Amino acid sequence: MGYPSVERRRVLAAAALGREAGVPGSGEGDPLRAVMGDILDISPHLIIIETPEGTEERLVIAPWATAWHGGDKAPSDLPVGSTVIMRTLRDGRVVERLWADITRLTGTILSVEGRKDLSVQLDCGPHRGRRTIVIPYRATGRIMVRHARFEPGFLFDAIGIRKGEASLALLPATSQPAYPARAVPAPPPAYGGLQSRVSGTATWSDVFDEEDRGAAYPMVERSDVDCPDAEVSCTGLPYLAIGSMLQVRNSCTDRSANVPIVACGCVAGRFCDRCVECDTSPRGRIAELSPFSYVELGGDLVKGCFNAQIGLG
Amino acid sequence: MTLVLASQLPALIVLLVLGTVAKVATVRSGGEMGTLARLGPAALVPARIEVPVLLVCAVGELVIATGLLVSTSPIFRWMAVVFFAMCTYVLLEVRRRRPDAGCGCFGEVSTAPVGLRSIARTMVLTGMAVLSLWAEGPGWQVFLQPSWFVAAGVVVLLVLSPELEEMVDRLRYRAPCEQRPGPAVEVTLARLRSSGPWRQHREQLATVEPYDSWRELCWRFFAFERRDGADVVFAVYLSGRRPAVRVAVVEHEGNGALPVYTPVSA
Repeated sequence: MGYPSVERRRVLAAAALGREAGVPGSGEGDPLRAVMGDILDISPHLIIIETPEGTEERLVIAPWATAWHGGDKAPSDLPVGSTVIMRTLRDGRVVERLWADITRLTGTILSVEGRKDLSVQLDCGPHRGRRTIVIPYRATGRIMVRHARFEPGFLFDAIGIRKGEASLALLPATSQPAYPARAVPAPPPAYGGLQSRVSGTATWSDVFDEEDRGAAYPMVERSDVDCPDAEVSCTGLPYLAIGSMLQVRNSCTDRSANVPIVACGCVAGRFCDRCVECDTSPRGRIAELSPFSYVELGGDLVKGCFNAQIGLG
Repeated sequence: MTLVLASQLPALIVLLVLGTVAKVATVRSGGEMGTLARLGPAALVPARIEVPVLLVCAVGELVIATGLLVSTSPIFRWMAVVFFAMCTYVLLEVRRRRPDAGCGCFGEVSTAPVGLRSIARTMVLTGMAVLSLWAEGPGWQVFLQPSWFVAAGVVVLLVLSPELEEMVDRLRYRAPCEQRPGPAVEVTLARLRSSGPWRQHREQLATVEPYDSWRELCWRFFAFERRDGADVVFAVYLSGRRPAVRVAVVEHEGNGALPVYTPVSA
């Protein structure tokens, strides 16, 4: 049984239970919009990009704008040809933050090779396959200090840049959980029954389709998504389906949005870590957002996570 | 005196059999959540031999239990003494080296960190096994002639078992339906097919197999196509033998009609 249309599921479920079908989109507040494209030309005040649809767009760079390309840079120093994700104001016309060629490398370590530059093979879950990444020598120190068990079977999460075909890991995205990937702690007992809102950390991943707005959620039935690694989480999460609407609130910026679940978050569920973006969050990744949703909720891609609260939208 | 000496055999046999069953059940439920790595002997050995260690332990217990039950051979009785003495040592070691690990005596029920009670229990069991060395008949005879000493031994063991509280807690604080794994899709589908709303709509369905099925919170949804092209969606509650079933007929989006709500409860 496939899932023909996730929107259809929402309409059908709402009709059967007699409730309102949630609508994707952000809530109150000055809306942020994420824009993505390849840089055609960039100057200190203007950026011209080619969007994935092939159209050319000109955006104004705000005077306070900052950029990231392996490190903090001035926007005008970004190389032409790189792929940027931007956080924009005013209907996507004014850019205030740019991330060029950013990528996130999340998975279970399969093998580590090399002496100076390390080449690491990651298992990114049943849907995402395997990925070989490179940790350049200058970044090994910062990454290893947050990955105490740098050996096969343990989790890995880093942020880096794409360089041609290769992915370079530059910054650790979390403190590595101390247990092996297959030994996720069980959720705490549900003393208070089911909570209508669950707190934890929300992260991002770049394996979604371009410009997709959605989330990967760990607690989906294995038989529904054909994913043997689902249903694992160290937080007491309720079961939802691909197509369910998740209301995600960024506790740091107080923005919220309705985000549809579009994938099985089987890797995210194995991380029982905290986010210390604005405060210390409870343990457990409750949602893995697509870069667009993450940016529009006010998250910083380089930080890798924000403290979040989810409810059913 | 003979009564006293043999009286602890039933308790030992029952505990050993329970231990075997619980360990095998834990291994069979697949320790993929990593429960194995936090259980007694398995916590002390490398990951790849965790399962064999638990299974060897379980088989050993079963052999000793059978021996105690049917024979009077001193070999089995000494094996019991050695086994429980070894358990005491293993528990002390687990407590010292992995204070977070459970004893695993009864599989995944024993996930609470090893405490003094668990250690006291294995010591009492060792003592019982030593007493039984001089028992005259095989274990099954004592089962036939129970005495107060048997009951006393059982009470002492119950008091020393942290698993009992764990089980009571699990029953009291059971995960709500929304967080529990649900029954298999086929089971839910069978429950739907024995419900009233299904009988009402069955005639109009194009096929009796759903084209889509998904679970959200405590409901499982089945979407069917009707002969006239509209969708019939059933929502089946996942808890209870005769669950509530709701149904709605939704016209296709193309013709601009609003969803037609016809909620029915079983």
